[in-house]
Amino acid sequence: MSFVSFSFALFVAAAVLFYYLIPVRYRYLVLLIFSLLFYYLACGKYIIYILLASLVTYISSMLMEKEKQKVQVLFPAEETAADRNKKKEAKEWLKKRLKRIMIIDLLLVFGTLSVLKYSEFVFANINLFRLLFFGDRKLRGLGDLVLPLGISFYTFQAAGYIIDLYYKRIDAEKNPFKLMLFVTFFPQIIQGPISRFKDLSPTLFAGNRFERENIRKGLYYILFGVAKKLIIADRLSLFVQRSSAFYKDVNGTYLLLTILFYSLQLYADFSGGINITIGTARLFGVEVTENFARPFFSKSVAEYWRRWHITLGTWFRDYIFYPISISKNLMNLGKKVSRVSSFFGKRTSLYTATIVVWALTGLWHGAEWRYVVWGLLNGIIMCVSAELEPLYAWLNRKAGWKDDSFLHKAFSIIRTFLIMSFLRIFDLSFEGIRMALSILKRILLRQGGITMSRLEELGLSQNDLIISLAGIALLFVISMLQRKKSIYERLMGLSLPCRWVICTLSVALILVFGYYGLGYSGADFIYMQF
Amino acid sequence: MDELIDILKGIHPEVDYETEEALIDSRIFDSFDIVTLVGQLTEEYDIEIGPEDLLPENFNSAKSIYELVCRLMEE
Repeated sequence: MSFVSFSFALFVAAAVLFYYLIPVRYRYLVLLIFSLLFYYLACGKYIIYILLASLVTYISSMLMEKEKQKVQVLFPAEETAADRNKKKEAKEWLKKRLKRIMIIDLLLVFGTLSVLKYSEFVFANINLFRLLFFGDRKLRGLGDLVLPLGISFYTFQAAGYIIDLYYKRIDAEKNPFKLMLFVTFFPQIIQGPISRFKDLSPTLFAGNRFERENIRKGLYYILFGVAKKLIIADRLSLFVQRSSAFYKDVNGTYLLLTILFYSLQLYADFSGGINITIGTARLFGVEVTENFARPFFSKSVAEYWRRWHITLGTWFRDYIFYPISISKNLMNLGKKVSRVSSFFGKRTSLYTATIVVWALTGLWHGAEWRYVVWGLLNGIIMCVSAELEPLYAWLNRKAGWKDDSFLHKAFSIIRTFLIMSFLRIFDLSFEGIRMALSILKRILLRQGGITMSRLEELGLSQNDLIISLAGIALLFVISMLQRKKSIYERLMGLSLPCRWVICTLSVALILVFGYYGLGYSGADFIYMQF
Repeated sequence: MDELIDILKGIHPEVDYETEEALIDSRIFDSFDIVTLVGQLTEEYDIEIGPEDLLPENFNSAKSIYELVCRLMEE
């Protein structure tokens, strides 16, 4: 069931109706039932995976709670308060127990994800290794395993919950149905965001009362998301797919246009989908975390990743980057390296953790080497940029550019956009790294002219081009307007007739310029495949 | 406290640490800065800072960082 379909609209309408008809204290159950129904309609029997993930997470959390209670019996508060060593002993004892449970839980949930998503990749690489060193003996893989919808998203969300429990950042949810709802909540199952328990749970479990403001805000968000998806993303989709598929037959200028359009398509697609997610959740009064903060206005790659897919970035930062970079082992390694070189010693833990995180971020996007390379390039650019900062500052001083001058900002923003667009070549290159390098070579060395007829052959008619560019320009203006206030707040600042005109115009634009209708099957959301 | 301010100045010299109370919330310190700071605090004060301590409220101001260091030294 696509987010931009009549059936989804009906499904959401039914869920909203039931939600507000049921007494407040049972409303979370309506969300759970509809979430499971949504998942079953999308995946059928493969619902078993998300049910198991919820169950494992619940059991682990309860076992952790039990240990927390046990420590209070074994080490009574009056003893630990008086004796510092006893307090330390209790802390260590609990940490050890909780860690054991957390590791088993993570092995189970990430184990499932690994087998389903990465086993073919692992077997293919083992076979390649065997072929190179032992002839052509082949290991048989596990066959074509079906990847359940949203597994990368719900696995990370469930794992984050357990890790937060281990760090005692949250209290365990004792109601298994509520925890299951946290893992399966349907608006965010397709493409995230990856919510934190402390952020999502208050409004998810509350049983929110009907408020016109929630419905209004929800519908605005949905309208905005649908417009982005149908007017821009799906319009550019055909061209991007075709020109990348026929990359050997087109010159570098078409390919340059392809990668620039792909960046914009991806943004319109993913952020549009997230708008629909936030809007749908809001219809129930549930507040879902924002996943974007005007990423194309970033002045560096590091800043871009703080503003694009924010919840994935903060997940990797809090649960992988920080624990690795400040781990005793890496800190000690840094000290040893410092004896040889103080420069490298200071950077050992920081850059090792960065590279690990970005290799994993690449793998999260797909079980292929091109994604790993894409991730590593992001990490390497960040490390190199950090080192080059003094040089940039020196160059700026020499050129007389101030950091906050318009020219300097515009230059940094365009540079970051181009870097990110070029890195996306790896994302587009479905044949692998060789294809990515070939596209890059063509862009750099085989520039040529562009004709409208060739663009049309590639799926972008003159009208499509004009509408896409107008849509992108409008998106740019909206992003500019969002510098200080969200677009919703700005809309609410307008008079009612103005708001009606804007809404009617938006609906008309979607109806006239959107890609939809009989015989047209909307493109899936790109992040759904991850 | 003076020692701590010196360490912080080494990371971001332009910040007024006497008044700034949103080092993390205002994105003055990013994750690279935090890891650099943790490395220096660990070495300088012989403390162990764990991922559980890496909360915005512990790093938003020089005062909160100082309090964290004192708490960990006591432990």
